[in-house]
Amino acid sequence: MDELDLTFVEQAVDKIGTGREKVLEILQAVQGRFGYLPEEALERACELTEITPASIAGVATFYSQFRHRPAGRHTIRVCIGTACHVQGGGQVYDAFKRYLGIGEQEDTDQQKMFTVEKVACLGCCMLAPAIQIDDVTYGHLTSDKVSAVLSDFLEQQKAGALQADKQEFLKEIKDLGEIRICLDSSCVASGSAKVYEALRKAVRETGAQAVVKSVGCSGMSYLAPLVEVVLADPAKVGLIGTRRCRSSFRYAGIQPTDARAIVLRHFKPKQIGQKIKNTVSTMLDKILTDRAWEPVTRYSIDVRDQPVASFLDKQLHIATEHCGHIDPVNLDEYVRNNGFKALQRCVSELSPEEVIGVIEHSGLRGRGGAGFLTHLKWSAVRDSGSKKKYVICNGDEGDPGAFMDRMLMESYPYRIIEGMAIAAYSVGADEGYFYIRAEYPLAIKRMSEAISNCQQRGYLGNNIMEGGFSLHLKIAAGAGAFVCGEETALMASIEGRRGMPRLRPPYPAQSGLWGKPTLINNVETYAAVPWIVRNGAEAFARLGTSSSNGTKVFALAGKIARGGLIEVPMGISIRQIIEEVGGGIVGGLRLKAVQVGGPSGGCIPVELAGISVDYETLNDVGAMMGSGGMVALDESDCMVDIARYFLEFTQNQSCGKCTFCRIGTRRMLDILERLCSGQGRKADIEELEHLAQMVQKSSLCGLGKTAPNPVLSTVKYFRDEYEAHIEKRCPAGKCKALITYSITDDCIGCTLCAQHCPAEAIAMTPYQKHEIDAEKCIRCGTCKSVCSSDAVKVQ
Amino acid sequence: MPKLIIDNREVGVDDGATVLDAAEELGIEIPTMCFLKGCKSSTSCMVCVVKVDGLANLVPACGTVAEEGMRVESNCEEVRQARKAALELLLSDHVGDCIGPCQITCPARMNIPLMIRQIAAGELRDAIATVKKDIALPAVLGRICPKPCERACRRNACDEAVSICLLKRYAADVDLQSANPYMPACKPVRNKRVAIIGAGPAGLAAAYYLRRDGFNCTVFDDHEKPGGALRYAVSQEELARPATPAFDQTRLRRVLDKEIALIEKLGVKFQGRTRVAITPGSIEDLRKDFDAVFVAVGRLKPGDAGSMGLETGPNGIAIDGKTYRTNLAGVFAGGDAVRNRKLTVRAVADGKEAAVSISQYLSLFPQGGGPGQTVTGATKAFNIHIGKLKDDEIEKFMACATEGPRVRPSREDYGFTDEQARQEAARCLHCDCRKAENCRLRQYAQEYGARPGRYKGERRLFVQQVQHPDVIYEPGKCIDCGLCVQIAAEAGEKLGLTFIGRGFDVRVAVPFDRSLAQGLKRCAAQCVASCPTGALALKNNPKSPNA
Repeated sequence: MDELDLTFVEQAVDKIGTGREKVLEILQAVQGRFGYLPEEALERACELTEITPASIAGVATFYSQFRHRPAGRHTIRVCIGTACHVQGGGQVYDAFKRYLGIGEQEDTDQQKMFTVEKVACLGCCMLAPAIQIDDVTYGHLTSDKVSAVLSDFLEQQKAGALQADKQEFLKEIKDLGEIRICLDSSCVASGSAKVYEALRKAVRETGAQAVVKSVGCSGMSYLAPLVEVVLADPAKVGLIGTRRCRSSFRYAGIQPTDARAIVLRHFKPKQIGQKIKNTVSTMLDKILTDRAWEPVTRYSIDVRDQPVASFLDKQLHIATEHCGHIDPVNLDEYVRNNGFKALQRCVSELSPEEVIGVIEHSGLRGRGGAGFLTHLKWSAVRDSGSKKKYVICNGDEGDPGAFMDRMLMESYPYRIIEGMAIAAYSVGADEGYFYIRAEYPLAIKRMSEAISNCQQRGYLGNNIMEGGFSLHLKIAAGAGAFVCGEETALMASIEGRRGMPRLRPPYPAQSGLWGKPTLINNVETYAAVPWIVRNGAEAFARLGTSSSNGTKVFALAGKIARGGLIEVPMGISIRQIIEEVGGGIVGGLRLKAVQVGGPSGGCIPVELAGISVDYETLNDVGAMMGSGGMVALDESDCMVDIARYFLEFTQNQSCGKCTFCRIGTRRMLDILERLCSGQGRKADIEELEHLAQMVQKSSLCGLGKTAPNPVLSTVKYFRDEYEAHIEKRCPAGKCKALITYSITDDCIGCTLCAQHCPAEAIAMTPYQKHEIDAEKCIRCGTCKSVCSSDAVKVQ
Repeated sequence: MPKLIIDNREVGVDDGATVLDAAEELGIEIPTMCFLKGCKSSTSCMVCVVKVDGLANLVPACGTVAEEGMRVESNCEEVRQARKAALELLLSDHVGDCIGPCQITCPARMNIPLMIRQIAAGELRDAIATVKKDIALPAVLGRICPKPCERACRRNACDEAVSICLLKRYAADVDLQSANPYMPACKPVRNKRVAIIGAGPAGLAAAYYLRRDGFNCTVFDDHEKPGGALRYAVSQEELARPATPAFDQTRLRRVLDKEIALIEKLGVKFQGRTRVAITPGSIEDLRKDFDAVFVAVGRLKPGDAGSMGLETGPNGIAIDGKTYRTNLAGVFAGGDAVRNRKLTVRAVADGKEAAVSISQYLSLFPQGGGPGQTVTGATKAFNIHIGKLKDDEIEKFMACATEGPRVRPSREDYGFTDEQARQEAARCLHCDCRKAENCRLRQYAQEYGARPGRYKGERRLFVQQVQHPDVIYEPGKCIDCGLCVQIAAEAGEKLGLTFIGRGFDVRVAVPFDRSLAQGLKRCAAQCVASCPTGALALKNNPKSPNA
């Protein structure tokens, strides 16, 4: 191997700094350059900085973002988030490795072309199962699409990657109409960047009086790419009564080829010459594709349409206010839409104590999971003696199946900044951090842009809005450790240490970042603050239940018709969310349970779907608000497998400090794996419960304490399924070791299954019924997904 | 200065003191593993958990700051259960034996690895003391034992077992030939008398150990001379299975005489040609003159035991397996009289273990002792074992031993010379733990009745790092407490130690895959002393019982 050029390390250190706390940044830079962390580079970094070998080696091996051996040229990241898991993400992962001939202990193919990794959640739950190859996301995959995806990716590489200039957003001009499209991560994954380009091209070419605008996510991920056309003509105002906007039309599932037709439908070309040109090209289109207008009408949806109205009607936008309307990083637009009015009011009219009073009256509780009363945290930091204090925004959302914080940060960066500034003003902090997980590059980018815009315009920095209050905000990027969502671990990470939680008390309010009093709130908590200050505590307190006020943002996914980001008032029932907002279950099966709160939460059986969504009720049934993932499960989902899935996640994300979490979760997983592989023993269920209680009661931090929830709740409500597994049966037909694939008489002999079977377990017998060799079958599900006559049966 | 209540007792402590400090103030012992005075508490092992009134979860005493009005329970059932679970979890991820497989297999549980290390170091006086702690007649057994220990020897997987039996014979022979053979220290004489019926291996062993414990012992036998089957067995088959090739009964008797002489020298009275009548009441009669009776009469004819008023089972006199008690008060039985298996080493072990029960019984008798005080028999030392070796683990074990096949004595019926013994002793793999006597995991596991096999999962591979001149590191025994990491950092080690990885896979190691020798240049001894388990241990220290 060539000698490494270590001058890069020197440059990086020059740029980043030599303090001990810079270790993560330096490692990220080194990995960015070399694709992994060469040992020589780390040793060089130690020589150049205050970082010790023990620290750099400890940190480099703690965070899963870091690689220690060279990677392939491209990285395939297979999402194994909850939604992807229930839709077969694990099989897709297996399929990629199989296709690329990567051994069990390896992650890169022989030619060093592709590295295949599992990723906790890409936050694209509506595209499940989803994968990302470098920056390109592919959704709705099945095992048999692997080769198609890879060749598409390589072709695209050859053609030169699409350059979506997301930076150059057009400024809004009042007289023009708007064509809005969301360019956040999951919508881009659905193809919205290509549609955006196509729309701009169409506007340019047709000379239409419209701007194409990137906006914050509407939450309707299930319709992505979603285009909203808003007409400028005031005569048409009021067409849609429920929404405070001009006449608008929405188009779902748009393809780039539809762009032109959409533009022409709503905007008349300026000049006659263009009109002719348009007619001609439309005619050409018609001749070529023979589908002129139909695609548009086919995709066109309207808020008046029942499904969309239901999706939106039950919702109430506070943290996601102006959803789908405003350009995320356009500060002018934010300001025009009442942005920074709340902060203005605080610094000029209210004392810090009065602001805390407002928060107290609103009844706002932390949206990060546990639901601690926000004003108590604020008061504790306010009352602490120290002069130096910090505010932190916890954007380390790592739950598989949750993407609220990502969407909030990508879509409403200014609102979060404003909320955080109000908090800083209230507690007396002048410095703060956004801790954002590494898997959210767009969130990091937009938050950085927003911070720098705010600094330029005096919304951040010294003497903010002439109120004598200063605040400096920075971004700290995580590096792939779910446990860093725990506040003490998060602070350890900012300080450049392994993200290990410590015993509380002392709480961060007493001794936080670098030993100073620190306020840590979740993204969504901060996002709700400006609305509360502007609309009054009472307005917020009126919403929700007596103890859980306001609204809550959920990431709705799973076996559901309409998923996405939703914001609903507390107290709404789970059934209402699933049926009315989410449109019920798809696929013909019945709802079996709803997983709420991700790995810290639990599975609520369909019989309890009537319960109210609030902190206490969810705890009472053995679930948890968590950070708000909500995954609908149907009869084909095995509850033992779900418990195993979540435990595998937490076990994998345990920091490894305390005995109960480090070894206890591993032993629980051992039992669950035994059950799922048909090796279960009679006493296993009791042993699992016992161990779960021990881990719950004696783990050091919240991760360990809540890790048993998915297990305990499924044992409680679905004990029969556990017992069935001991008898070597999986009633849902999910656990590979307990099921067999067979072909029924419906088989028409098309040979598709035989062609696609990666294990050669099906002999090709044209026009005759095919047979599966159970010995060879690897239960990958390919035959079932390719079968044209639904003749593959799983038992 | 906060006042708090622990186990219903009030105590005042300084501001900032922990619950652990407060408990110490009260003399309440709370088990700790990851905690060390003077180091920052990591609150990771969770063995010190306590219950604080008003909190749903348990908290670690070492890191919980005492607060005014706190009410703490340090030893309630909930707390004990959690501690036991923590210990069982730690044990479930522990790769290493407390006691070597040879010692576990030896019916007398003789500390074979220690004896071998003492022989290797030329400390022969220590070696015979180690042997005689568990085997009263080692020179005899060194000639006739069927050596179950050698079948268990891990070295079999590589070439041949260590010649344990010959090494024991060597230690015993050297001792017998010396000017003043080893005599154990006896406890002060107690005013209690024990009658031992039968001067075979079980009876002689019981007499030896009871005498060491300070009891007066009289051994009755119907033969003229003591030795029982060892002396009067008609064929070698009756003595040893499988038959030893170079068996010479005359020579054996000579050795036996010498070993018995030592027992007599210890103060054991022997009364030959005395037959205890096989009649009802004969044992009770004996009890009039003696405080306890040990029946070790060898194989009984059917009905004999019954005639003496002793209950019988399929294999002879019925006893309680743990305590050797018979149905009669103060009467114990062992050896071939209670089991259908001729194995001298088993009989010797019976004698030793029965002596423990008899000793316990006599310290309670005739008062009967207080509540909870009963005869429990010998405590079985806690042990966790690796079990079957995987892959090339045996090669890792070989790191501490010399290569090559067994050393063989120059003639089949000869023992080892000094040189041969030392060479053979160097072949031992040191399977037992170097810190078995001061490992806190083992100590608490015993105390809390933790079951090592409770949680089964795939075990890690056995690893030992031996590059450091003085210290051996076995990651499989590490509980990730991080004390050594902290100590190395504070000592200013250039490389030091760090945690590598995350979660279940976290391991303590020297950064950049360097060796322990490079990582610990200044504070290795301190790290060893602070390590709560056998993960970090001194390599060689034959003087201490388990190093």
